[in-house]
Amino acid sequence: MNRPSMLTTLIVSGLVAISFSSQAHAGGDYRRGLEKSQVCQSCHGRTGNESLQPSYPKLAGQHEDYLVHALESYRNGRRQNAVMAGFAGNLSDQDIADLAAWYSRQEGLRDLDVE
Amino acid sequence: MRHTWIVAVMIALAPLSSSAQGDPDRGEVIAYTCSGCHGIPFYKNVYPTYSVPKLGGQNQEYLISALKAYREGTRQHATMQAQAATLSDQDILDVTAYFVSIGENES
Repeated sequence: MNRPSMLTTLIVSGLVAISFSSQAHAGGDYRRGLEKSQVCQSCHGRTGNESLQPSYPKLAGQHEDYLVHALESYRNGRRQNAVMAGFAGNLSDQDIADLAAWYSRQEGLRDLDVE
Repeated sequence: MRHTWIVAVMIALAPLSSSAQGDPDRGEVIAYTCSGCHGIPFYKNVYPTYSVPKLGGQNQEYLISALKAYREGTRQHATMQAQAATLSDQDILDVTAYFVSIGENES
């Protein structure tokens, strides 16, 4: 009686974990993101922690969907930055997803602590 | 005499060694409002939906330029524009100094 319910719990929690992780990282391939990030690296660094200038943001560990939103905003001109407009303008949706997958998986930025 | 020179050079270079300015303790008080969105892991912006960005450990100069762009209206986001409008230059320095300090404490 106890064993099957334990097994069921494990299976269900496993499925839930899988569905959550695939939802959070929909579409992006971080390995392809690393390949495509050569241009980004010259200013943001390989992991996104090594900013060339302090006015450039760190990307490492940033939320994946926020990075997607930022790149889309540069691409469509809603967010204006001459340098980023030039780069983002050449990116496809898949490129954006892959780059966001790479940089969001690096160790770096943190949430604010709520105390 | 030689020591005097070394000390003088060190004092002269001291401001260059740290790019962080502002008072992080005062900034922590200001950041109370910010944490209502930025302090909750995976808190979502809506229309469009995306996670509110992490700020802890971010570069201070980037954060300053972002807040000033919101305040001036050159960067669009209704809530952030409203929040940034209440901040003085000193507030922005202090609150961003606090965000930077979060990355330093834990890494």
